Amino acid sequence: MEQTAVKKHKEQAEQSRIDFKMVTFSLAGKDYGIDIMKVKEISKASKFTFVPNAAPFVKGVYNLRGDIISVIDLRVFFNLLNESEETAENDLENMIILRLDGHVIAVVVDTIDKVVGIASENVQPPHPLFGDINIKYISGVVENEGRLYVILDMERIFGTEEPTEAPERSERKAAPPAPAEAPKAAGKAPKAAPAASEENIDIGFIEETLVTFLSFYSSPVNREWIIRRFATWKSQRGDDVQLTNRQDAEAFIAPFSSPFSGTLWNPDYIGKVASFLPKSQKGNFNVWNPGCGGGHESYSVACMIKKALPEVHLRIIAHDNDLIRVSTAPGLVLGENPLGDPFEEFLTKSTKGRQFKKVIKDAVLFEYHDISHENTLPKLDMVVMRDTISYLSPDKQISVFTVLDDVLKPGGILLLGTNEEPVNPDAWEKVENAGVVVYKKK
Amino acid sequence: MRVEYINPFVESAFSIMQEVLQAHIDRKDLYLKKTSQPVMGVAALVGLAGDVEGRVLIDMSRDTAIKIASTMNGEELTELDDLVKATITELANMITAQAVTKLFELGFKFDLTPPSIITGDNMQVSNADVEALIVPLEMEQGLVEINVAIRERM
Repeated sequence: MEQTAVKKHKEQAEQSRIDFKMVTFSLAGKDYGIDIMKVKEISKASKFTFVPNAAPFVKGVYNLRGDIISVIDLRVFFNLLNESEETAENDLENMIILRLDGHVIAVVVDTIDKVVGIASENVQPPHPLFGDINIKYISGVVENEGRLYVILDMERIFGTEEPTEAPERSERKAAPPAPAEAPKAAGKAPKAAPAASEENIDIGFIEETLVTFLSFYSSPVNREWIIRRFATWKSQRGDDVQLTNRQDAEAFIAPFSSPFSGTLWNPDYIGKVASFLPKSQKGNFNVWNPGCGGGHESYSVACMIKKALPEVHLRIIAHDNDLIRVSTAPGLVLGENPLGDPFEEFLTKSTKGRQFKKVIKDAVLFEYHDISHENTLPKLDMVVMRDTISYLSPDKQISVFTVLDDVLKPGGILLLGTNEEPVNPDAWEKVENAGVVVYKKK
Repeated sequence: MRVEYINPFVESAFSIMQEVLQAHIDRKDLYLKKTSQPVMGVAALVGLAGDVEGRVLIDMSRDTAIKIASTMNGEELTELDDLVKATITELANMITAQAVTKLFELGFKFDLTPPSIITGDNMQVSNADVEALIVPLEMEQGLVEINVAIRERM
Protein backbone atom coordinates (compact mmCIF):
# COMPACT_ATOMS: atom_id res chain seq x y z
CA MET A 1 0.00 0.00 0.00
CA GLU A 2 2.69 2.36 1.04
CA GLN A 3 4.75 1.30 -1.92
CA THR A 4 2.01 2.16 -4.39
CA ALA A 5 1.68 5.57 -2.78
CA VAL A 6 5.40 6.15 -3.17
CA LYS A 7 5.26 4.95 -6.73
CA LYS A 8 2.33 7.21 -7.50
CA HIS A 9 4.11 10.14 -5.95
CA LYS A 10 7.16 9.40 -8.03
CA GLU A 11 5.09 9.20 -11.19
CA GLN A 12 3.47 12.52 -10.45
CA ALA A 13 6.83 14.10 -9.88
CA GLU A 14 7.96 12.71 -13.21
CA GLN A 15 4.91 13.97 -15.00
CA SER A 16 5.49 17.46 -13.73
CA ARG A 17 8.85 17.52 -15.47
CA ILE A 18 7.50 16.73 -18.92
CA ASP A 19 9.43 18.86 -21.35
CA PHE A 20 9.55 16.72 -24.45
CA LYS A 21 6.57 15.39 -26.32
CA MET A 22 6.73 12.88 -29.09
CA VAL A 23 4.30 11.33 -31.51
CA THR A 24 4.58 7.57 -31.23
CA PHE A 25 3.95 5.03 -33.94
CA SER A 26 4.83 1.49 -34.77
CA LEU A 27 6.89 -0.08 -37.50
CA ALA A 28 6.91 -3.87 -37.75
CA GLY A 29 5.43 -4.16 -34.27
CA LYS A 30 8.00 -1.99 -32.53
CA ASP A 31 7.42 1.43 -31.00
CA TYR A 32 9.09 4.58 -32.23
CA GLY A 33 8.75 8.28 -31.46
CA ILE A 34 9.30 11.56 -33.32
CA ASP A 35 9.70 14.94 -31.64
CA ILE A 36 6.27 16.57 -31.80
CA MET A 37 7.79 19.90 -32.79
CA LYS A 38 8.78 18.37 -36.12
CA VAL A 39 5.29 17.02 -36.80
CA LYS A 40 3.01 19.25 -38.80
CA GLU A 41 0.01 16.99 -38.90
CA ILE A 42 -1.23 13.44 -39.24
CA SER A 43 -3.25 12.22 -42.16
CA LYS A 44 -4.45 9.15 -44.01
CA ALA A 45 -4.20 8.74 -47.72
CA SER A 46 -3.68 6.26 -50.51
CA LYS A 47 -2.96 6.21 -54.23
CA PHE A 48 0.16 8.27 -54.12
CA THR A 49 1.41 9.54 -57.45
CA PHE A 50 4.30 7.35 -58.49
CA VAL A 51 7.54 9.11 -59.37
CA PRO A 52 9.58 7.30 -62.03
CA ASN A 53 13.15 6.42 -61.20
CA ALA A 54 12.81 7.49 -57.56
CA ALA A 55 14.54 5.62 -54.75
CA PRO A 56 12.59 2.54 -53.61
CA PHE A 57 11.65 4.09 -50.28
CA VAL A 58 9.93 7.03 -51.99
CA LYS A 59 6.31 6.03 -52.22
CA GLY A 60 5.51 8.95 -54.46
CA VAL A 61 4.17 12.43 -54.13
CA TYR A 62 0.97 13.58 -52.53
CA ASN A 63 -1.17 16.67 -52.86
CA LEU A 64 -1.63 18.09 -49.38
CA ARG A 65 -4.17 20.88 -49.86
CA GLY A 66 -2.33 22.31 -52.79
CA ASP A 67 1.25 21.66 -51.66
CA ILE A 68 2.97 18.75 -53.34
CA ILE A 69 4.97 16.79 -50.80
CA SER A 70 7.07 13.66 -51.10
CA VAL A 71 6.00 10.55 -49.27
CA ILE A 72 8.65 8.29 -47.78
CA ASP A 73 7.83 4.76 -46.68
CA LEU A 74 9.74 4.31 -43.43
CA ARG A 75 9.23 0.54 -43.55
CA VAL A 76 11.14 0.29 -46.82
CA PHE A 77 13.59 2.95 -45.72
CA PHE A 78 14.59 0.96 -42.66
CA ASN A 79 14.09 -2.47 -44.22
CA LEU A 80 11.32 -3.31 -41.77
CA LEU A 81 8.79 -4.87 -44.09
CA ASN A 82 5.76 -6.00 -42.17
CA GLU A 83 4.91 -9.02 -44.23
CA SER A 84 1.97 -10.16 -42.12
CA GLU A 85 0.04 -7.01 -42.88
CA GLU A 86 0.48 -6.71 -46.61
CA THR A 87 -1.64 -3.70 -47.51
CA ALA A 88 -3.98 -3.80 -50.44
CA GLU A 89 -3.67 -1.19 -53.15
CA ASN A 90 -6.55 0.96 -51.96
CA ASP A 91 -6.03 0.76 -48.21
CA LEU A 92 -5.42 4.08 -46.54
CA GLU A 93 -1.90 4.52 -45.26
CA ASN A 94 -1.08 6.33 -42.03
CA MET A 95 1.04 9.37 -42.74
CA ILE A 96 2.91 11.62 -40.37
CA ILE A 97 3.59 14.92 -42.07
CA LEU A 98 6.84 16.49 -40.93
CA ARG A 99 8.22 19.95 -41.29
CA LEU A 100 11.99 19.63 -41.52
CA ASP A 101 14.56 22.22 -42.39
CA GLY A 102 11.98 24.30 -44.21
CA HIS A 103 10.54 21.54 -46.35
CA VAL A 104 7.56 19.33 -45.70
CA ILE A 105 7.59 15.59 -46.23
CA ALA A 106 5.31 12.76 -45.24
CA VAL A 107 6.41 9.44 -43.81
CA VAL A 108 4.26 6.34 -43.98
CA VAL A 109 4.19 4.10 -40.89
CA ASP A 110 2.20 1.03 -39.81
CA THR A 111 0.04 2.57 -37.11
CA ILE A 112 0.11 5.88 -35.32
CA ASP A 113 -0.29 5.49 -31.59
CA LYS A 114 -0.53 8.65 -29.48
CA VAL A 115 1.35 11.60 -28.08
CA VAL A 116 3.61 10.74 -25.16
CA GLY A 117 5.09 13.37 -22.86
CA ILE A 118 8.38 12.57 -21.20
CA ALA A 119 11.12 14.30 -19.30
CA SER A 120 14.04 14.71 -21.68
CA GLU A 121 16.48 13.74 -18.92
CA ASN A 122 15.00 10.22 -19.03
CA VAL A 123 16.07 9.77 -22.63
CA GLN A 124 18.92 7.30 -22.81
CA PRO A 125 21.52 7.46 -25.54
CA PRO A 126 21.15 4.75 -28.18
CA HIS A 127 23.01 1.55 -27.62
CA PRO A 128 25.25 0.38 -30.47
CA LEU A 129 23.51 -2.98 -30.44
CA PHE A 130 20.34 -1.65 -32.07
CA GLY A 131 20.41 -3.55 -35.26
CA ASP A 132 17.51 -2.76 -37.46
CA ILE A 133 17.76 1.01 -37.68
CA ASN A 134 21.12 2.58 -38.26
CA ILE A 135 22.30 4.04 -34.98
CA LYS A 136 23.05 7.50 -36.27
CA TYR A 137 19.37 8.07 -36.97
CA ILE A 138 18.39 7.50 -33.35
CA SER A 139 18.48 10.33 -30.88
CA GLY A 140 17.68 8.15 -27.90
CA VAL A 141 15.52 5.57 -26.21
CA VAL A 142 12.94 6.25 -23.54
CA GLU A 143 10.67 4.14 -21.39
CA ASN A 144 7.07 5.14 -20.80
CA GLU A 145 4.37 3.07 -19.14
CA GLY A 146 6.26 -0.12 -19.65
CA ARG A 147 7.01 0.41 -23.35
CA LEU A 148 10.31 1.34 -24.86
CA TYR A 149 10.24 3.99 -27.56
CA VAL A 150 13.08 4.56 -29.99
CA ILE A 151 13.19 8.29 -30.74
CA LEU A 152 14.14 8.93 -34.36
CA ASP A 153 16.11 11.98 -35.39
CA MET A 154 14.19 12.97 -38.51
CA GLU A 155 16.44 15.93 -39.26
CA ARG A 156 19.35 13.60 -39.57
CA ILE A 157 17.47 11.01 -41.57
CA PHE A 158 16.29 13.43 -44.21
CA GLY A 159 18.87 16.15 -43.74
CA THR A 160 21.22 14.76 -46.39
CA GLU A 161 20.31 13.87 -49.91
CA GLU A 162 21.54 10.31 -49.74
CA PRO A 163 21.24 9.35 -46.11
CA THR A 164 22.23 5.74 -46.55
CA GLU A 165 25.59 6.72 -47.95
CA ALA A 166 26.21 9.81 -45.87
CA PRO A 167 29.64 9.73 -44.29
CA GLU A 168 29.59 8.67 -40.68
CA ARG A 169 30.27 11.81 -38.79
CA SER A 170 30.23 11.80 -35.05
CA GLU A 171 28.52 14.99 -33.98
CA ARG A 172 29.66 14.52 -30.44
CA LYS A 173 33.02 15.97 -29.78
CA ALA A 174 35.62 13.52 -28.69
CA ALA A 175 37.35 15.95 -26.39
CA PRO A 176 35.92 18.97 -24.63
CA PRO A 177 36.44 22.06 -26.79
CA ALA A 178 39.30 24.32 -25.91
CA PRO A 179 38.06 27.30 -23.95
CA ALA A 180 37.46 30.30 -26.17
CA GLU A 181 39.24 32.60 -23.79
CA ALA A 182 42.62 31.09 -24.54
CA PRO A 183 45.32 32.84 -22.62
CA LYS A 184 46.82 34.16 -25.83
CA ALA A 185 46.87 37.73 -24.61
CA ALA A 186 48.63 36.69 -21.45
CA GLY A 187 51.17 34.71 -23.46
CA LYS A 188 51.88 37.72 -25.65
CA ALA A 189 52.45 40.16 -22.83
CA PRO A 190 55.94 39.01 -21.76
CA LYS A 191 57.09 39.11 -25.39
CA ALA A 192 56.13 42.76 -25.71
CA ALA A 193 57.42 43.73 -22.28
CA PRO A 194 61.14 44.06 -23.08
CA ALA A 195 60.37 46.63 -25.79
CA ALA A 196 60.89 50.25 -24.87
CA SER A 197 58.05 51.42 -22.70
CA GLU A 198 57.73 54.56 -24.79
CA GLU A 199 57.02 52.46 -27.83
CA ASN A 200 54.34 50.61 -25.90
CA ILE A 201 52.71 53.85 -24.99
CA ASP A 202 52.80 54.94 -28.63
CA ILE A 203 51.20 51.69 -29.74
CA GLY A 204 48.66 52.07 -26.98
CA PHE A 205 47.74 55.53 -28.28
CA ILE A 206 47.45 54.24 -31.81
CA GLU A 207 45.25 51.40 -30.67
CA GLU A 208 42.95 53.84 -28.93
CA THR A 209 42.77 56.15 -31.94
CA LEU A 210 41.91 53.25 -34.22
CA VAL A 211 38.95 52.46 -31.97
CA THR A 212 37.82 56.09 -31.99
CA PHE A 213 38.10 56.75 -35.72
CA LEU A 214 37.44 53.37 -37.31
CA SER A 215 36.10 51.20 -34.45
CA PHE A 216 39.02 48.88 -35.19
CA TYR A 217 39.93 46.97 -32.06
CA SER A 218 43.43 45.77 -31.38
CA SER A 219 43.30 42.30 -29.85
CA PRO A 220 45.05 38.93 -30.10
CA VAL A 221 43.30 38.60 -33.49
CA ASN A 222 45.50 41.27 -35.07
CA ARG A 223 48.11 42.18 -32.43
CA GLU A 224 51.00 40.73 -34.47
CA TRP A 225 50.07 42.86 -37.44
CA ILE A 226 49.70 46.02 -35.34
CA ILE A 227 53.20 45.58 -33.93
CA ARG A 228 54.72 44.96 -37.39
CA ARG A 229 52.74 47.81 -38.91
CA PHE A 230 53.81 50.18 -36.16
CA ALA A 231 57.45 49.47 -36.93
CA THR A 232 57.01 50.36 -40.63
CA TRP A 233 54.82 53.31 -39.77
CA LYS A 234 57.47 54.65 -37.43
CA SER A 235 60.19 54.34 -40.05
CA GLN A 236 58.01 56.22 -42.55
CA ARG A 237 56.74 58.91 -40.25
CA GLY A 238 59.72 59.45 -37.95
CA ASP A 239 58.70 61.29 -34.81
CA ASP A 240 55.23 62.11 -36.02
CA VAL A 241 53.76 58.67 -35.27
CA GLN A 242 50.47 59.71 -33.73
CA LEU A 243 47.22 59.39 -35.65
CA THR A 244 45.61 62.78 -35.30
CA ASN A 245 42.64 62.41 -37.61
CA ARG A 246 40.57 59.95 -39.57
CA GLN A 247 42.81 60.16 -42.66
CA ASP A 248 45.84 59.18 -40.59
CA ALA A 249 43.94 56.28 -39.11
CA GLU A 250 42.85 55.13 -42.56
CA ALA A 251 46.39 55.41 -43.89
CA PHE A 252 47.66 53.34 -40.98
CA ILE A 253 45.06 50.64 -41.47
CA ALA A 254 45.18 50.57 -45.31
CA PRO A 255 47.60 47.60 -45.65
CA PHE A 256 45.46 45.58 -43.24
CA SER A 257 42.71 44.69 -45.69
CA SER A 258 42.75 41.28 -47.30
CA PRO A 259 42.99 40.84 -51.08
CA PHE A 260 39.79 41.44 -53.07
CA SER A 261 37.94 43.30 -50.34
CA GLY A 262 34.75 44.63 -51.86
CA THR A 263 35.38 43.01 -55.25
CA LEU A 264 35.00 39.55 -56.69
CA TRP A 265 37.91 37.26 -55.93
CA ASN A 266 40.24 36.49 -58.82
CA PRO A 267 40.55 32.93 -60.20
CA ASP A 268 43.97 32.47 -58.62
CA TYR A 269 42.77 33.31 -55.11
CA ILE A 270 39.66 31.17 -55.60
CA GLY A 271 41.83 28.26 -56.67
CA LYS A 272 43.96 28.56 -53.55
CA VAL A 273 40.98 28.77 -51.20
CA ALA A 274 39.17 25.95 -53.05
CA SER A 275 42.14 23.66 -52.40
CA PHE A 276 41.10 23.58 -48.73
CA LEU A 277 37.57 22.37 -49.48
CA PRO A 278 36.76 18.74 -48.69
CA LYS A 279 37.37 16.55 -51.73
CA SER A 280 34.04 14.80 -51.67
CA GLN A 281 31.04 15.90 -49.75
CA LYS A 282 27.38 15.22 -50.17
CA GLY A 283 24.32 16.67 -48.57
CA ASN A 284 24.27 20.13 -47.05
CA PHE A 285 27.19 22.51 -47.10
CA ASN A 286 26.55 25.55 -44.90
CA VAL A 287 28.73 28.63 -44.97
CA TRP A 288 28.56 31.69 -42.74
CA ASN A 289 29.83 34.96 -44.17
CA PRO A 290 29.56 37.74 -41.59
CA GLY A 291 30.53 41.18 -42.85
CA CYS A 292 29.49 40.38 -46.41
CA GLY A 293 29.07 44.06 -47.35
CA GLY A 294 27.83 44.41 -50.91
CA GLY A 295 27.90 40.66 -51.46
CA HIS A 296 30.97 40.27 -53.72
CA GLU A 297 32.67 37.97 -51.26
CA SER A 298 29.55 35.83 -50.74
CA TYR A 299 29.08 35.40 -54.49
CA SER A 300 32.75 34.51 -54.94
CA VAL A 301 32.45 31.83 -52.27
CA ALA A 302 29.19 30.58 -53.80
CA CYS A 303 30.71 30.19 -57.29
CA MET A 304 33.85 28.60 -55.84
CA ILE A 305 31.90 25.94 -53.93
CA LYS A 306 29.36 25.31 -56.71
CA LYS A 307 32.25 24.66 -59.06
CA ALA A 308 34.31 22.53 -56.68
CA LEU A 309 31.45 20.60 -55.09
CA PRO A 310 28.55 20.59 -57.57
CA GLU A 311 26.77 17.81 -55.70
CA VAL A 312 26.21 19.61 -52.41
CA HIS A 313 23.19 21.56 -51.34
CA LEU A 314 24.90 24.89 -50.71
CA ARG A 315 23.65 27.53 -48.34
CA ILE A 316 25.57 30.71 -47.56
CA ILE A 317 24.28 32.87 -44.75
CA ALA A 318 25.65 36.35 -45.42
CA HIS A 319 25.31 38.98 -42.70
CA ASP A 320 26.09 42.66 -42.53
CA ASN A 321 24.96 45.49 -40.32
CA ASP A 322 25.32 48.09 -43.08
CA LEU A 323 21.75 48.21 -44.34
CA ILE A 324 22.45 50.14 -47.53
CA ARG A 325 25.24 47.87 -48.73
CA VAL A 326 23.61 44.59 -47.83
CA SER A 327 20.32 45.70 -49.43
CA THR A 328 22.02 46.03 -52.80
CA ALA A 329 23.64 42.59 -52.53
CA PRO A 330 20.76 40.35 -53.72
CA GLY A 331 20.48 42.30 -56.97
CA LEU A 332 24.20 42.80 -57.62
CA VAL A 333 24.82 43.85 -61.23
CA LEU A 334 28.20 43.26 -62.84
CA GLY A 335 29.84 44.99 -65.77
CA GLU A 336 30.65 43.45 -69.12
CA ASN A 337 34.31 42.78 -68.36
CA PRO A 338 35.11 39.08 -68.54
CA LEU A 339 35.51 37.66 -65.04
CA GLY A 340 37.09 34.32 -65.90
CA ASP A 341 36.66 31.00 -64.23
CA PRO A 342 34.53 30.09 -62.26
CA PHE A 343 32.24 33.09 -62.62
CA GLU A 344 31.38 33.03 -66.33
CA GLU A 345 29.31 29.86 -66.18
CA PHE A 346 27.18 31.26 -63.36
CA LEU A 347 26.33 34.56 -65.01
CA THR A 348 23.29 35.53 -66.99
CA LYS A 349 22.32 38.64 -68.88
CA SER A 350 19.47 40.78 -67.60
CA THR A 351 18.09 44.13 -68.69
CA LYS A 352 20.26 45.92 -66.10
CA GLY A 353 23.49 44.11 -66.88
CA ARG A 354 25.03 40.79 -65.99
CA GLN A 355 23.75 39.08 -62.86
CA PHE A 356 24.35 35.79 -61.13
CA LYS A 357 22.12 32.88 -62.10
CA LYS A 358 19.29 31.71 -59.88
CA VAL A 359 21.28 28.70 -58.69
CA ILE A 360 23.82 31.06 -57.12
CA LYS A 361 21.29 33.60 -55.86
CA ASP A 362 19.23 30.88 -54.22
CA ALA A 363 22.30 29.58 -52.43
CA VAL A 364 23.06 32.91 -50.75
CA LEU A 365 20.81 34.34 -48.08
CA PHE A 366 21.58 37.99 -47.35
CA GLU A 367 20.47 39.18 -43.95
CA TYR A 368 20.60 42.55 -42.20
CA HIS A 369 22.08 41.46 -38.91
CA ASP A 370 24.49 42.71 -36.28
CA ILE A 371 26.83 39.87 -35.34
CA SER A 372 27.42 41.38 -31.93
CA HIS A 373 23.81 40.37 -31.19
CA GLU A 374 22.64 36.79 -30.82
CA ASN A 375 23.76 34.60 -33.76
CA THR A 376 21.41 31.77 -34.66
CA LEU A 377 23.10 29.48 -37.15
CA PRO A 378 22.82 25.91 -38.40
CA LYS A 379 25.80 23.55 -38.22
CA LEU A 380 28.46 25.06 -40.45
CA ASP A 381 31.03 23.56 -42.81
CA MET A 382 32.85 26.80 -43.50
CA VAL A 383 33.14 30.34 -42.16
CA VAL A 384 34.42 33.20 -44.31
CA MET A 385 35.09 36.12 -41.99
CA ARG A 386 37.76 38.32 -43.53
CA ASP A 387 38.54 41.67 -41.85
CA THR A 388 35.31 41.52 -39.88
CA ILE A 389 36.22 40.32 -36.42
CA SER A 390 38.81 43.10 -35.93
CA TYR A 391 35.99 45.64 -36.03
CA LEU A 392 34.26 44.12 -33.01
CA SER A 393 35.14 44.89 -29.43
CA PRO A 394 37.39 42.20 -27.85
CA ASP A 395 34.62 40.69 -25.71
CA LYS A 396 32.42 40.41 -28.82
CA GLN A 397 35.33 38.79 -30.68
CA ILE A 398 35.50 36.14 -28.00
CA SER A 399 31.76 35.57 -28.15
CA VAL A 400 31.93 35.11 -31.94
CA PHE A 401 34.64 32.48 -31.48
CA THR A 402 32.47 30.81 -28.85
CA VAL A 403 29.70 30.66 -31.45
CA LEU A 404 32.12 29.05 -33.92
CA ASP A 405 33.15 26.56 -31.30
CA ASP A 406 29.51 25.61 -31.08
CA VAL A 407 28.29 25.58 -34.67
CA LEU A 408 31.32 24.86 -36.87
CA LYS A 409 31.65 21.15 -37.53
CA PRO A 410 34.91 19.45 -36.56
CA GLY A 411 37.21 19.77 -39.59
CA GLY A 412 35.27 22.84 -40.68
CA ILE A 413 37.19 25.62 -42.40
CA LEU A 414 37.67 29.16 -41.10
CA LEU A 415 38.98 31.82 -43.48
CA LEU A 416 40.05 34.97 -41.66
CA GLY A 417 41.60 38.16 -43.00
CA THR A 418 45.20 37.89 -44.20
CA ASN A 419 46.41 39.69 -41.09
CA GLU A 420 44.13 38.03 -38.58
CA GLU A 421 44.36 34.90 -36.48
CA PRO A 422 41.93 33.13 -34.13
CA VAL A 423 41.76 34.19 -30.47
CA ASN A 424 41.98 30.54 -29.45
CA PRO A 425 44.79 29.15 -31.64
CA ASP A 426 44.85 25.86 -29.75
CA ALA A 427 41.46 24.89 -31.13
CA TRP A 428 42.56 25.23 -34.77
CA GLU A 429 44.95 23.61 -37.18
CA LYS A 430 46.66 26.17 -39.40
CA VAL A 431 46.84 25.13 -43.07
CA GLU A 432 48.59 27.13 -45.76
CA ASN A 433 48.65 27.05 -49.55
CA ALA A 434 50.88 29.58 -51.35
CA GLY A 435 50.28 32.41 -48.93
CA VAL A 436 46.60 31.75 -48.26
CA VAL A 437 45.97 30.55 -44.73
CA VAL A 438 42.88 28.85 -43.38
CA TYR A 439 42.18 27.33 -39.99
CA LYS A 440 40.66 23.88 -39.64
CA LYS A 441 38.71 23.17 -36.51
CA LYS A 442 40.29 20.40 -34.47
CA MET B 1 16.81 39.47 -41.03
CA ARG B 2 16.70 38.69 -44.72
CA VAL B 3 17.16 41.94 -46.65
CA GLU B 4 14.29 41.26 -49.05
CA TYR B 5 11.86 41.49 -46.12
CA ILE B 6 12.90 44.94 -45.00
CA ASN B 7 11.50 47.15 -47.73
CA PRO B 8 7.95 45.78 -47.81
CA PHE B 9 7.59 46.48 -44.10
CA VAL B 10 9.04 49.98 -44.32
CA GLU B 11 6.95 50.90 -47.35
CA SER B 12 3.67 49.54 -46.07
CA ALA B 13 4.13 51.06 -42.59
CA PHE B 14 4.84 54.41 -44.18
CA SER B 15 2.06 54.35 -46.75
CA ILE B 16 -0.64 53.02 -44.39
CA MET B 17 0.19 55.59 -41.71
CA GLN B 18 0.12 58.33 -44.28
CA GLU B 19 -3.16 57.09 -45.68
CA VAL B 20 -5.02 56.77 -42.37
CA LEU B 21 -3.70 59.93 -40.77
CA GLN B 22 -3.60 62.11 -43.89
CA ALA B 23 -0.56 63.89 -42.51
CA HIS B 24 3.16 64.18 -42.97
CA ILE B 25 5.08 61.19 -41.65
CA ASP B 26 8.77 61.53 -40.91
CA ARG B 27 10.70 58.37 -41.68
CA LYS B 28 13.77 57.93 -39.50
CA ASP B 29 16.78 55.64 -39.86
CA LEU B 30 16.21 51.94 -39.44
CA TYR B 31 18.24 50.08 -36.89
CA LEU B 32 18.59 46.69 -35.22
CA LYS B 33 17.78 46.06 -31.60
CA LYS B 34 18.85 43.22 -29.36
CA THR B 35 16.34 40.61 -28.36
CA SER B 36 15.14 42.21 -25.17
CA GLN B 37 13.46 45.54 -25.76
CA PRO B 38 11.28 47.86 -23.74
CA VAL B 39 7.80 48.58 -25.06
CA MET B 40 6.46 52.11 -24.89
CA GLY B 41 3.00 51.41 -23.47
CA VAL B 42 0.71 50.16 -26.23
CA ALA B 43 1.81 47.32 -28.47
CA ALA B 44 -0.15 45.56 -31.17
CA LEU B 45 1.28 42.16 -31.98
CA VAL B 46 0.87 40.12 -35.17
CA GLY B 47 2.50 36.72 -35.46
CA LEU B 48 3.98 35.40 -38.70
CA ALA B 49 4.38 31.81 -39.78
CA GLY B 50 5.13 29.99 -42.98
CA ASP B 51 8.53 30.13 -44.68
CA VAL B 52 9.64 32.11 -41.64
CA GLU B 53 8.82 32.47 -38.00
CA GLY B 54 8.50 35.74 -36.17
CA ARG B 55 6.27 38.63 -35.29
CA VAL B 56 5.55 42.26 -35.96
CA LEU B 57 4.99 44.65 -33.09
CA ILE B 58 3.55 48.11 -33.57
CA ASP B 59 4.73 50.02 -30.55
CA MET B 60 3.72 53.48 -29.30
CA SER B 61 3.01 55.39 -26.12
CA ARG B 62 -0.47 55.53 -24.60
CA ASP B 63 -0.79 59.15 -25.54
CA THR B 64 0.17 58.54 -29.16
CA ALA B 65 -2.27 55.63 -29.39
CA ILE B 66 -5.15 57.81 -28.19
CA LYS B 67 -4.23 60.60 -30.60
CA ILE B 68 -3.90 58.28 -33.58
CA ALA B 69 -7.22 56.62 -32.75
CA SER B 70 -8.83 60.06 -32.43
CA THR B 71 -7.62 61.06 -35.89
CA MET B 72 -8.62 57.77 -37.47
CA ASN B 73 -12.10 57.84 -35.95
CA GLY B 74 -12.64 61.53 -36.52
CA GLU B 75 -13.61 62.20 -32.93
CA GLU B 76 -11.85 63.31 -29.77
CA LEU B 77 -10.98 60.31 -27.59
CA THR B 78 -9.50 60.86 -24.14
CA GLU B 79 -8.75 57.46 -22.66
CA LEU B 80 -7.49 54.09 -23.73
CA ASP B 81 -10.87 52.46 -24.19
CA ASP B 82 -12.04 49.59 -26.36
CA LEU B 83 -12.42 51.80 -29.41
CA VAL B 84 -8.82 52.98 -29.19
CA LYS B 85 -7.60 49.41 -28.79
CA ALA B 86 -9.71 48.19 -31.70
CA THR B 87 -8.41 51.01 -33.87
CA ILE B 88 -4.76 50.28 -33.10
CA THR B 89 -5.36 46.57 -33.66
CA GLU B 90 -6.81 47.36 -37.06
CA LEU B 91 -3.85 49.58 -37.86
CA ALA B 92 -1.47 46.72 -37.06
CA ASN B 93 -3.53 44.41 -39.21
CA MET B 94 -3.44 46.77 -42.17
CA ILE B 95 0.30 47.37 -42.01
CA THR B 96 1.23 43.73 -41.62
CA ALA B 97 -1.27 42.51 -44.20
CA GLN B 98 -0.01 44.95 -46.81
CA ALA B 99 3.60 44.00 -46.10
CA VAL B 100 2.77 40.32 -46.39
CA THR B 101 0.93 40.93 -49.66
CA LYS B 102 4.00 42.69 -51.04
CA LEU B 103 6.19 39.84 -49.87
CA PHE B 104 3.88 37.33 -51.51
CA GLU B 105 4.36 39.14 -54.80
CA LEU B 106 8.11 38.68 -54.32
CA GLY B 107 7.57 34.97 -53.79
CA PHE B 108 7.62 34.64 -50.00
CA LYS B 109 4.66 32.92 -48.39
CA PHE B 110 3.65 33.93 -44.86
CA ASP B 111 0.59 33.34 -42.71
CA LEU B 112 -0.62 35.88 -40.18
CA THR B 113 -2.17 35.45 -36.78
CA PRO B 114 -4.98 37.79 -35.74
CA PRO B 115 -3.52 40.86 -34.05
CA SER B 116 -3.61 41.15 -30.29
CA ILE B 117 -3.01 44.25 -28.25
CA ILE B 118 -0.93 44.57 -25.12
CA THR B 119 -0.97 47.61 -22.85
CA GLY B 120 0.82 48.39 -19.63
CA ASP B 121 3.82 50.13 -18.14
CA ASN B 122 7.42 48.99 -17.99
CA MET B 123 7.02 46.09 -20.37
CA GLN B 124 9.72 44.26 -22.25
CA VAL B 125 9.53 41.93 -25.22
CA SER B 126 12.02 39.11 -25.61
CA ASN B 127 12.40 36.79 -28.53
CA ALA B 128 14.83 34.00 -28.12
CA ASP B 129 17.75 34.24 -30.55
CA VAL B 130 16.39 36.79 -32.96
CA GLU B 131 17.05 40.47 -33.23
CA ALA B 132 14.43 43.02 -34.21
CA LEU B 133 14.43 45.55 -37.04
CA ILE B 134 13.03 48.88 -35.86
CA VAL B 135 11.28 51.19 -38.33
CA PRO B 136 10.70 54.46 -36.45
CA LEU B 137 8.02 56.78 -37.83
CA GLU B 138 7.63 60.25 -36.35
CA MET B 139 4.38 62.15 -36.80
CA GLU B 140 2.35 64.90 -35.24
CA GLN B 141 0.71 62.39 -32.86
CA GLY B 142 4.05 61.07 -31.61
CA LEU B 143 6.52 58.28 -32.33
CA VAL B 144 5.42 54.89 -33.65
CA GLU B 145 7.94 52.07 -33.92
CA ILE B 146 7.33 49.13 -36.20
CA ASN B 147 9.32 46.34 -34.63
CA VAL B 148 9.87 43.34 -36.91
CA ALA B 149 11.57 40.15 -35.73
CA ILE B 150 11.63 37.41 -38.36
CA ARG B 151 13.95 34.55 -38.91
CA GLU B 152 14.25 31.82 -41.47
CA ARG B 153 13.39 28.33 -40.46
CA MET B 154 16.76 26.70 -39.91
